[in-house]
Amino acid sequence: MTEHPAITRRRLLGLFGAAAALPVLSACGSSVGGASGGATTGGGGTVKVGLVVPQSGVYAALGTDMTRGWELWLEQNGGRFGDRTVETVIADEGETPQTGVPAVQKVLQSDAVDVVVGLVNSATALGVGDLLTESKKLLIVTNAGAADVTGKARTPYIWRTSFTNAQVSSAMGTYLAQSGLQGGVYAIAPDYVAGTEVIAGFTAAFVAGGGTVVGEAKPAFGKTTDYQPFLTAIQQSGAKATFCFFSGAEAITFVRQYTEFGLATTIPLFGSGFLTEGSVLPQQAETALGVQTTLHYSDQLDNPANAAFVEAYTAKHGESPSCFSVQSFDAANVLNRALGTATALDGDSLATALGGVGTIDDSPRGPWTFDGQSPRQNMYLRKVEDASGTLVNAVLADLGPQSQSA
Amino acid sequence: MLVSVLNGFSIGFLLFILAVGLSLVFGMMDVLNLAHGALFLVGAYLGAAFSGAGWGGFLAALGLAAVAGLVAGGILSLMTEPLRRRSHLDQALLTLGVAFVVAELLYTVFSDDPLSVLAPPGLDGSVSVLGAVYPTYRLALIGVGSVLAVVVYVVVERTRVGALVRATVADREMVSALGVDNRLVKAAVFAVGSLLATTAGVLGGPIYGARPGLDAYVLILALVVVVIGGLGSVRGALLGALIIGQVDTLGRVLLQGVEGAASFILFASLAVVLVLRPQGLFGGPVGMSR
Repeated sequence: MTEHPAITRRRLLGLFGAAAALPVLSACGSSVGGASGGATTGGGGTVKVGLVVPQSGVYAALGTDMTRGWELWLEQNGGRFGDRTVETVIADEGETPQTGVPAVQKVLQSDAVDVVVGLVNSATALGVGDLLTESKKLLIVTNAGAADVTGKARTPYIWRTSFTNAQVSSAMGTYLAQSGLQGGVYAIAPDYVAGTEVIAGFTAAFVAGGGTVVGEAKPAFGKTTDYQPFLTAIQQSGAKATFCFFSGAEAITFVRQYTEFGLATTIPLFGSGFLTEGSVLPQQAETALGVQTTLHYSDQLDNPANAAFVEAYTAKHGESPSCFSVQSFDAANVLNRALGTATALDGDSLATALGGVGTIDDSPRGPWTFDGQSPRQNMYLRKVEDASGTLVNAVLADLGPQSQSA
Repeated sequence: MLVSVLNGFSIGFLLFILAVGLSLVFGMMDVLNLAHGALFLVGAYLGAAFSGAGWGGFLAALGLAAVAGLVAGGILSLMTEPLRRRSHLDQALLTLGVAFVVAELLYTVFSDDPLSVLAPPGLDGSVSVLGAVYPTYRLALIGVGSVLAVVVYVVVERTRVGALVRATVADREMVSALGVDNRLVKAAVFAVGSLLATTAGVLGGPIYGARPGLDAYVLILALVVVVIGGLGSVRGALLGALIIGQVDTLGRVLLQGVEGAASFILFASLAVVLVLRPQGLFGGPVGMSR
């Protein structure tokens, strides 16, 4: 190995990093990654983590937020989980399971990581179950919201610090049913798994609370750009409110057209929080004003942990954190707690330890616990408001804790 | 309902801008240009790239799209020249290949995330039309579309250049025999038709956005318009586009929730026209008013 100049330089860099400052190590880890195969076996004083997040494709912005959240926690805590030094190997999840599953396989096999953290795409999270079971390693999912990940397809090795699709929308269902809304609601979401789960969660909670869904539409996912026919249908249905779920470019287009066709002033728009979370909000601009959503986080949350988190994050990156940053920040947090009691770094020991971490009381999103292997957490009612020139998701109410199956 | 009718008009005029080039090229030179949708997509992505940069960005996108359209039309005309004596299938294969290459290049540059395009400032709000709220940009599109329709109509029907084009549509050999190099006529019509396609892409951006697969979607709509309107006819393309705009919009509103109903209505109307009037509404010697 040493006769190869490039590797020599990389190894030297790694040594320097270790000697100089611990936070630097996590940054170097990503470049050392591929070359140092098998150098670390998890023994002694280190824990090697594979952070698998999108660095390219549609979800690249989410991957950036997640990497930042993960690194911020390590930075604030000396780059250590308990008495173990954390070494992070970053791999690109890409967009689909075709890129995501091999990325997980790569960090498990050639980088020999102890723990895998990340995954945006639910299909990827569902696709790596066997890999983790075979290698008996732990995965902490920091986004992928399909119920099956910690539900039907549950394995003891997959835990989640994010949310489930239905958890977020059923909070809105319950809230709207109790809000005294006179008349029915029209539900609209793209025709793919997340959209279906969001609508199902909303409808179940809303109907259980005494509400009526007067219409439902499922525009083709990734193919619909002109929502006029759907908007006209909403107007004709006589609905008094609209509940929707869109993300990315579709969230921008839908919210803009909802206002352009004059619905925003007559039929208020409600949604799952991702509709107005992160980078889409500045592009929706003033058309998003007044849109109300539910989510497990808002950077406007008023608690000491969040204030410190937002301040540190904003100082470093010049923009506010999103729920995606918090999800990976908390993944580091729970791993730290689990390693305090875990006897070893294998998946079984870590899973047992995670089961006993109790309440995470210092999360920016407020206190939460594992309910099964996914968070039971408070949902917040948020409204897009103009805070001196910047659009924010102002917190209107704390809707209380919600478990993953709700 | 008024909103749907208005929307049918804005989409209809957009389709006209797209389809008139396809119609003239097909009708005149017998070249079935399946790359027409890809040209639209080039315009749409140009619009997306400059989205949010105000009027400057919008006009820059239009200008670049126009140049790209002219160049692409010239190249396509050259490429199809050796195939002029061959069957439609050969031309279709060539232009389909070009369409795939262009779509793949756009995918490489812009990835497959659907992009959203903002209307230029001033047109990004909405106005009230007889009590219904309607986006300003789409109203403006109806205006721009009607002006373009008039311009294209006047040029083709009332000028010397237009007479030459119409003569070439009617009898290519005769025009050739009169000493006109019909390859030049073809190249010019091809270039202008392609220019209209890329322009339609930029203009359609705030409605359709830009995404992979949009090229095939608009190409099929344009082909339906051309078949309904009749080959090589400006009036036919206009009427066909307005009909399809209404059919597509109203169909999707009225038959909401019925899977595939909208495309069924679209192709059913195509079938009706083909059965009753195979040459298209304006394709034959006798015009049909409607």
